[in-house]
Amino acid sequence: MKRNLKLAVASIATSVAMALTLNAHAADVPESDEPIIIVQNNWTSQLVLSNVVGNVLSELGYEVEYVPSDSQLQFTAIANGDMHFQVEAWEGSMKSAFEKAVEEGMVDAGAHEAVTREEWWIPNYVLETCPDATNWEGLNACADQFATAETSPKGRFVGPPADWGKNYADRVNSLEMDFEAINVGQAATLWAELQSAYDRKEPIVLFNWTPNFIESKFEGTFVDFPEPAPECFTDAAWGPNPNATGDCGAPRGGWLKKAAWSGIADTWPKAWSVLQRVNFSNAQIAAAALMVDVDGMSPEEAAEQWAADNADVIAGWVE
Amino acid sequence: MDIAHTTDEARPWSGRALLALPLWQFFVVIAGGILLTTLWEGFARWPDDLVIPMKEWITRFFEWLGKEAAIGSYSFKDFTRAISDLLSYPLEWTEALLYRGIKPLGLPPIPWVAVVLGTAILGHWIGGWRLALFVGASMLYLSIFGLWKDSMRTLSIVLVAVPIAAAIGLFLGIRVTRSKRAAAIITPMFDLMQATPHMAYLVPVVVLFGFGQVPAMLATVIFAMPPMARCAILGIQTVPQDVIESGRMSGCTPRQLLWKVQLPTSKKTLMLGLNQVVMQTLAMVVIASLVGASGLGQKLLFSLQQLRLGAAVEQGLAIVLIAVVLDRLTQAYAYRETIHYSATTSFFQRHKHLLLFLFILIVTFIAANFHKELAILPKKMTFTLGREIDFAVREFSKNAYDYIGPVRDFITVSILLPIRDFYLWLPWPVLVGCIAVAGYRLGGFPVMTLTASLMLAIMLFGFWEPAMLTIYLVFSAVVICILIGVPIGVLASRSERIAKVTMTICDTLQTFPSFIYLIPVIMLFKVGDLSNIIAILAYATVPAVRYTYLGLKRVPEVLKEAAIANGCTPRQKFWKVEMPFAIPEIMLGVNQTIMMALAMTAITALIGSRDLGQEIYRALPTADTGRGLLAGLGIAAIGIIADRLISAWATKKKKNLGIE
Amino acid sequence: MSDQVQISCRNVWKVFGPDPAGFMKRHGGQPTTEALASEGYIGAVQDVSFDVGAGEILIVMGLSGSGKSTLIRCITRLNDPTTGEIDFEGNNILTAKPKELIELRRHKMGMVFQNFGLLPHRSVLSNVAFPLEIQGIDRRERNKRAKEMIELVGLGGREDYFPRELSGGQQQRVGIARSLAVEPDVWFLDEPFSALDPLIRTEMQDEFIRLQQLLKKTIVFITHDFEEATRLADRIGIMKDGRLVQLSTPEQMVLHPANDYVAEFARNAPRDRIISVKAIMEPAAQNTPTDHPVTGTDRIGAAAERVLTADHPVLVIDHEGLPVGQVDRHAMTKALFGAV
Repeated sequence: MKRNLKLAVASIATSVAMALTLNAHAADVPESDEPIIIVQNNWTSQLVLSNVVGNVLSELGYEVEYVPSDSQLQFTAIANGDMHFQVEAWEGSMKSAFEKAVEEGMVDAGAHEAVTREEWWIPNYVLETCPDATNWEGLNACADQFATAETSPKGRFVGPPADWGKNYADRVNSLEMDFEAINVGQAATLWAELQSAYDRKEPIVLFNWTPNFIESKFEGTFVDFPEPAPECFTDAAWGPNPNATGDCGAPRGGWLKKAAWSGIADTWPKAWSVLQRVNFSNAQIAAAALMVDVDGMSPEEAAEQWAADNADVIAGWVE
Repeated sequence: MDIAHTTDEARPWSGRALLALPLWQFFVVIAGGILLTTLWEGFARWPDDLVIPMKEWITRFFEWLGKEAAIGSYSFKDFTRAISDLLSYPLEWTEALLYRGIKPLGLPPIPWVAVVLGTAILGHWIGGWRLALFVGASMLYLSIFGLWKDSMRTLSIVLVAVPIAAAIGLFLGIRVTRSKRAAAIITPMFDLMQATPHMAYLVPVVVLFGFGQVPAMLATVIFAMPPMARCAILGIQTVPQDVIESGRMSGCTPRQLLWKVQLPTSKKTLMLGLNQVVMQTLAMVVIASLVGASGLGQKLLFSLQQLRLGAAVEQGLAIVLIAVVLDRLTQAYAYRETIHYSATTSFFQRHKHLLLFLFILIVTFIAANFHKELAILPKKMTFTLGREIDFAVREFSKNAYDYIGPVRDFITVSILLPIRDFYLWLPWPVLVGCIAVAGYRLGGFPVMTLTASLMLAIMLFGFWEPAMLTIYLVFSAVVICILIGVPIGVLASRSERIAKVTMTICDTLQTFPSFIYLIPVIMLFKVGDLSNIIAILAYATVPAVRYTYLGLKRVPEVLKEAAIANGCTPRQKFWKVEMPFAIPEIMLGVNQTIMMALAMTAITALIGSRDLGQEIYRALPTADTGRGLLAGLGIAAIGIIADRLISAWATKKKKNLGIE
Repeated sequence: MSDQVQISCRNVWKVFGPDPAGFMKRHGGQPTTEALASEGYIGAVQDVSFDVGAGEILIVMGLSGSGKSTLIRCITRLNDPTTGEIDFEGNNILTAKPKELIELRRHKMGMVFQNFGLLPHRSVLSNVAFPLEIQGIDRRERNKRAKEMIELVGLGGREDYFPRELSGGQQQRVGIARSLAVEPDVWFLDEPFSALDPLIRTEMQDEFIRLQQLLKKTIVFITHDFEEATRLADRIGIMKDGRLVQLSTPEQMVLHPANDYVAEFARNAPRDRIISVKAIMEPAAQNTPTDHPVTGTDRIGAAAERVLTADHPVLVIDHEGLPVGQVDRHAMTKALFGAV
């Protein structure tokens, strides 16, 4: 409340000051000394890209602060004005929280060119023993290769944390697959499972997404499921199983959006115009993640390197 | 019953009293409970629609508190913001000094060289050369492993949170010693707080204060404060009567008595409290990063996320080293004897440490302007073993898996899963009934009422299944902890050398961020109950070791000599004299083991399970306060039930043995 | 000793239990031993009355648990008595407000404790200056006075030591210096030498006597050591089970114990150093030889050789040399060895 008030006062003061300035520049940057708070999450691409955006703003003369936050609660904080900008909002895992926050006053600052996908995923060596595993029917045919002591004779699917809003047990039922979906508590657990299996060339099928650092470290492919349509979830007749709803996969091209506090436009007009133009492609995001995950740079260093490599892209945002 | 009583009297230390309990009461409860399930489904599994919606009420209450609650024109939100603002000032200043620099004045932060040397000088002032060398080297590690900035971020939170937690703890402790009413409210609150996993506090903090450095610090303060209060109470209450009376006879007002007599006299206990606060604060570093604390904890979680175990180990070690440095410094300060200078000692002699530090500070500040390496070590010059550690762990898991895999499968399928199914099948009247009977037998009516009603509450609020899974995991782990821990404790009590090594390992295990264990455990044991149990073991075996060691160490020499004089073989001496004497102490260790294991379930939730720990962990990102708090209290309730039953038993034994 | 009364206790009771005041009221202020026992109350101090004259050394003695420590704490109001009246210099101390009480302790009372009660974090100087610091006296003044006190108790040169660096006897000297720093009217000593080795204890008793000759304070002194009591006291009060059994001079106590309990204490007393010649003399006969007379105020120990080696009664004279009586071998033997 207090901060909002302070900002409001500040923005009024700056607009008055601007009105008084005779040589009417477009805008004197920065319009406010208050820091622009950029959200940071705990996955690589987001950390690099948030630094890239932050650096662009500080070079324009803005005070920038980074605050780490959780992927779900961040949107409420942005709606409240506690934080101001999020560079990566994923359709697959954040859609409902994002949309709820937009209702509460958060601003949808547009989508990136990049598309996202979250789906079952196998390392490529699996294809040696189960050549058709790139689609769900082929995978299901060799379900027993993925069995563990607890799930035997069914195969084991290592699923995402239960609160990521994906009910794979239901999908397994709807598609009548011979798999049992287990949930991990945290993404790191997925990767530990993957690393251990990968080193031993043990068959494994697990939840993964793109863009993600995993693709730069492990060779593998997504398993294709029936492309979803709205009817998949309402009409039992739709899809491979005529008797069940939910017999389809996740969208292969989900959106990746930016989220912003509604006050940015008034408080830092110039910054707002830049942020609206910020746009990443899949290749650019993968390159950013690669520098950290494979080359071992810190996110800050990667951001600088990325900016050097993509100077023309950034120039396009700033104009 | 009479028979049971006489055996009890005849061999009070035999530990067989439990076996001699009239088992028929348990049989009645078990048979009755199972019979009830045939009458009504609800006796097997409490129907969902009869669950009291306490979760929703609490969540809504906190939402209301965070959004709407107001007194007059001041909303509760204004209040929480005011606290945040208040806390952010000292934090910002410390951060400016340690790593941000004071921008408006164009001043850089204190150069790392000055911090390292400064810590060493402080170490020398407090504890001499050895301490100086140790703390200096530890701080040097932070710099040459490239962890300086993150360490300073973490240190900033610690340096601000510790005095605040200590001050609040001291204040509350003083209140407790001065007012019976305050004691009646505060003491049980602390007990409850101690039994509740830290993660559960985070949820309301997030709802009311949001994410970021300040809320994380606040959560840390809440969590680290009780030990200070406990020590303050202990310290004030154990000031010798003579000293207090001499203070009063000198004409002290109550205030003078407190500040000039009671508090300075209990300095050692208070410093111990401060030490505890420091350790707890550092134990919170990683957990606090879940609500937005930046620094080592955040970087550590990020490293784990990226599967860079080596980096996580280095960051974890940094946390441990900061903890150990602060621990050694505070402890050395507590036991430091004030030295008296003679009147002829010069000003320079008296303040040589301070002057030397100021000199270094100024020199490095100036030098850092020309040589940037002195301000912060550039990445080129830092050092890491991260990849090597990663490689070693991967190689190990790759090679060990062939041996571990079959064992894991056997234990999981043949032992753990049947036990789990049993717990999940167990009708609630049977379990509640058995707890009630045990409570009554061991501690009479009050213990029975408390324990049974806590268990009932867990069910009525809709946490039966997660609670059962928690009990299953925790008690399976505790059994193994005892099987491993007690023999190690026994071994340690036989030889000073083994004891020293064991205790060092115990200390390290307890300070090392437990998150790190999870990754190798998952690599070796896969996601599953056994991984949960093994991760719990790594942490919760420590008290079993420690208390066994202490219990055996405390057996009076005379008793052992008497045993030898009576012609006991070493084996007889151990089983017939030492062990029975140490059993009550060992049971307290078991008690602690259970507490630790319960606390660990909130962390092993990251592996994946469906227990109460998972409920807490899930509540955090969704800001589901009711779920998180109640699940936390559920864990506390299980802890309290176990504690009351075991303590009642141990008290009985101790009385029989004539200890206290 | 003067006639002026410094402290006066009247019917002081200190009862421990769930509701002491109510208990006392129910029993009309005079509960019986049976009533105490049956209702689960402990009468730590029971119906004690006595006066302490200005400049007098009153020693309260008894075994542990007899109530002597509680009694001294009632007089200083470290404990609040349940009922009774205690006048300190004519003012009822039991109705004194906390503030008045603090003033009283700051200026009129000094106390020495069995375990010294020194502040471990303060130097000798700072410990002794502590009561003055509490009053807000400025550093220079209080340090000056503390130094004087430290000189007085013979610890000069150790001002900067800490209590842990001193022996028990030295620590108690600090305790004594501190209690005297405010120049109190009344000096309370609660078993001041009990925690010390026997040799040191005698040394400290001598020190105490030296100081008292210098200072002439009114003193209430607690001990469980009868010999110590007889050595230092003007009058001794013996306590048993909370009651004051006998209050008299040491000499009276030895010669006329009030009951078997007191007699038991007195049995091992150094009679030669307690009983005066005056107490055992008889009126002088006309024919008593006047050579080598003994003085009436002398202790019999000093006169014993003369009396026992004489084959006739020895004349007793006062300070002016006038005869006041005579004492014979028989009386002397009886006095020295008790009633045979």
